Order: sequence, then structure tokens, then C-alpha cells
Amino acid sequence: MRKNQLLGTPSWAGWLFVAPALLMFTAVVMVPIVWSSYLSLGVWNGLGKWRFNAGANYLSMLSDTVFRHALLNSLFFSLVGSLIQLIVGMAMAVSLISIARFRNIVRVPYFLPAVISSVAISQIFVQLLSADPEGFINGSLRSIGLGEHTQPFLSNTSLTLTIVTLVDAYKFCAIYMAIFYSALVSLDQDVLAAAEIDGANRLQQLFLIRLPLIWATIAASVVLVVSGTLRGFDIPFVMTGGGPGTSSELVSTYMYKTLFSQSNFGYGSAIAIFLVVECLLIVAIIRKAFSATEKTG
Amino acid sequence: MLSRHKLTAWLPTVLVAIFLVIQIFPIVWVISASLQTPEALARGPSNRLIPDTLYFGNYVRAFETSPLLQYLLNSTIIAVLTIGLTILLAAPAAYAIEKLRFNGSQIVLNYFLLGLMIPVFVALLPIFQSLGFLGIRNSYWAVVLPQVGFQLPVAIYLYASFFRSIPNELLEAASIDGAGVFRTFWSVAVPLSINATITIVVYNFIFIWNEFVFANTFLTSDALKTLPVGLNDFVSDMGRRDYGATYAAIVVSVLPTVALYLFLNRRIIDSMTAGAVRG
Repeated sequence: MRKNQLLGTPSWAGWLFVAPALLMFTAVVMVPIVWSSYLSLGVWNGLGKWRFNAGANYLSMLSDTVFRHALLNSLFFSLVGSLIQLIVGMAMAVSLISIARFRNIVRVPYFLPAVISSVAISQIFVQLLSADPEGFINGSLRSIGLGEHTQPFLSNTSLTLTIVTLVDAYKFCAIYMAIFYSALVSLDQDVLAAAEIDGANRLQQLFLIRLPLIWATIAASVVLVVSGTLRGFDIPFVMTGGGPGTSSELVSTYMYKTLFSQSNFGYGSAIAIFLVVECLLIVAIIRKAFSATEKTG
Repeated sequence: MLSRHKLTAWLPTVLVAIFLVIQIFPIVWVISASLQTPEALARGPSNRLIPDTLYFGNYVRAFETSPLLQYLLNSTIIAVLTIGLTILLAAPAAYAIEKLRFNGSQIVLNYFLLGLMIPVFVALLPIFQSLGFLGIRNSYWAVVLPQVGFQLPVAIYLYASFFRSIPNELLEAASIDGAGVFRTFWSVAVPLSINATITIVVYNFIFIWNEFVFANTFLTSDALKTLPVGLNDFVSDMGRRDYGATYAAIVVSVLPTVALYLFLNRRIIDSMTAGAVRG
């Protein structure tokens, strides 16, 4: 008998307990992946017959300029968004553990954006950035004498990608703050006291002692933030719909439009499969990189 | 002139204050804007943070001109069904994986955890078609079933780490006393896991209440829309005409999660952190 198993439990009982969840999960998550892979190998608009076209959908991604643009935008969204969330989240956590009082009270408003829906956050920022009527940001620019910079921000194609990246990062920063904070407060105080006696200043304590001690947490957070931003959708979709033009189009929003506005089910499914493979691949590379640093470091 | 020492002593406090303002600013702004009269809003006072009036007409109009109340009800029904079903499926599954340890239980756990890596987008079209085939597109189940499927991995993960902490002796004592597998689970393990269940319920509630993609894709009838989707339609509908009502609708949509958060803040932060750093 295997250790940890309860006495006298027949194996069928275990399967009986797990079967409903297993069926539901398989039907909702796993079967659709297989189904999408199948659809991605053909042409279909939902009405006529599905027609096999080998890998033609995947090949047309290569020559599709909108897709290429969306992929570059997605990589920007993920890279810049991840960096902001990790750095700001860390800055929030470090400043929070450095104050003497009110930490637990401050933590409550600190975390607020993470519990508000992406749609509400997006709508609030659409209003703040609006030009007609003049929203808070344009109004503030005018009143501090920067009137020449006032504009309808979400119509400016050179700004939209940056804006949706920032708003998305804004919503999720607090998650990383909370993760880093709980790792930092659980550190052994004796080690830090010893460092202080040895004359390490605050910055040295932070970079040479605290951060290396929570390295595993940082590594897990990098994986989490990258896979989270690679599948970002709600905020760009609600704020700009990927536009104007393709200026803030991400792979996910382009896939959604291809499927549900153009009913191009074969090509849309191919983009969806691309998205899954991209997520798994990038996460695997990051995991590999971190396990390599652990061995050498 | 501040000395170097004083500056480093004050820096964290200043930073915390700045972060604090940034984190609460949007929500404070929208609440304040929602309480101003249409005349005040027309003068461009959306730049003012403290409203000069406490005018509730925007809320009255938001409820009168849109099915906001219906959206609120739909979101509540969907949240209750989804959370109930998730708990009902996840608790026994995690218990079996951790405590009944049948052959292959570790493989089953890893299979569930694989779900954490899968973006929902890949399932959208197949689920859309299946729901149509089953004739339940445009029903509450069209959103409940997919959400349950995608919430299961996190719920099972959280339950499994809780059940791992229950000593086997406790459960074995019950079975020696003659309780069968089901009795032991139901009358020993389930009561012990109340605290874990509350954490999982709260964690799921935030996600389900805020969910957008499934609801936007699988529900088209106004009578079934959830708050995030309804809010989005409301703004594109009214956003150009009635700003006050738009601000009010935004506030109404975030109120339930914010209120819950104010009561259960530490538990929510901890559960969202635990749910995030799985594995």
C-alpha cells in the first residue's frame, strides 16, 4: 500500500470522487483544445462544409501583415507590462515593509485595483482620457499650462498601445505587490539584523540580502506575469477594440475578431492554437532560464 | 535642508503615500463624478475630486434607463451557480487526490494543473458551438459551465493543499468507528474545510463577478447579460449622452466586489496571492 493512503479505501472510491470534476474539466478545457486544433487545419465559416487545407492557415499567418503587427504589439504589451508590474509591485512592497506603522491598513487600498473588473477600470480610464467632454487628464494638462498637449488620447495611434499596456499593468501591479510583500515579511529578521550590525545600508540590505532570499518567489512571479500578459485581452478590447486601425491590436483581440466578427473559423482557430503554443513555449523558456541560474548561482 | 539620513528615513513613507493616491484615485474620481449634477458635469467639473453636491439623480437615471438591476441579478445568479458547482466538484476531487490516493491520482492532479496554463481563447469557438448544439447558448448555463471548467484547476489546487494538512489519523479514526468513505468525507473532512471553502468562494467570486470574455461571447440577450458586459453596452449606448448615469453605472458595477473586499480584505488578498502563486 502506498503511504499516505487512508486505510481500507478501495481504488474505485477515489475515481468516483474525482470523476465529475474530471469530466467537466475535460469537456470544457481539454476537448476544445483538440477541437480547435482540428478546426485550425481547414477552412470553415460555420455554415458550409469544413474543408481541409493542410497547414495553409498557419502559412497565411506569416504573410498576414495585421497578424504580424498584432504579434509585435503583443510582445511589447507583455514585455513592458511585465517589467512595470514586477518593478512597481516590488517598489510598492519594499516601501510598505519599510514603514513602521499602518502596514495592514495601507495594504487594503493598495490592493484595490486588483478586485475591480477590467471593464470598470477600462471605462474609468476612457473617461479620464477623454477629450470631449474634457476628461481629468486633459483638464489637468490645460490647467498646469501644458494645453498644447491636450488631445483625444485614445485616437492617437502612436499612444494607444502604450496606454492599454499601462492600464493593464496598473490593474495587476497590486497582485505582485501582495506576493512580494508576503515573501518579504516572512524573511528571518535575525539575518537582516545581522546585516545591519555589519553596516549594510538599506539599499545593500535590499539588493544583497532580501531580494536573493526571495529569489524563488521572484522567479514564480516572472512566469506568472508573462503568461498573464501574453493572454491579455479585456482592457485593450474594451478601451480601444484594438484600434484605431491596428495600433493596439493584440494577438488575442485579432483572434477574437477573426472568429466572431469575420466568422473565419479556420484561421481564427489557428491563431488561437498559436497563442497557446506561444504561451507554453515562452513560459518553458523562462522556467529553463531560472533553473539554470539556480544551478550556477 | 534635509540630511541624507532623514531623507532615506522619509523616502518609504513618501513613496507609500504616492502609491496610495495612485491606487485609489480612479475609484475616488468616479464616485465623486457620479455624485455631481448634470449641470455641474457640463461645466467640466469632472476635474474636481470633491463633489460640491451629493446628487443621486445619476443613479436614479442609470437604473431607470437601463436594465442595470437585471444585470445585477444575472451576475448574482451566475456567481452563485458557478461557485456552488465549482465547490461541489472540486472538494471531492481534491479529497480523492490527496487522501484516497488511488492509482494514478498524481497524474490526475497534474492533468488538472495543466489547465492553469491554457488561455481561455482556445476554447471559445468549440464551447460556442457546443452550447449551440446543446441548445443552451443564451442561458445562464452558457456562462456557468465554461467558468466552472476553467475555475476547477485553481479550486482543486487550493483544496488539495488544504487537505494535505489534515492528519490521516483523524480520518482513519472515523473509518475505524465504522464510517464509510462517503461518511468520512462528508462528516469529518467537509466540516474541517470550512475555512478553506470560504477562501475559495471569495477568490472565485472576484473572478466570476468580473469575468468578461465568456459572458460577452455566449450571451446576447439583454435579459441574461452580466454587469461587466451590460456596463460595456451601457457606456457605448449612453456614454455619449448621459455622463452622470455612466459614472453611476460604473460605481454600481464595482460596488459588490469593493464592499466584499472592505469586509474580507485580508482573506481576499491572501487567497488571490495563494491562487496566483500555485505550483
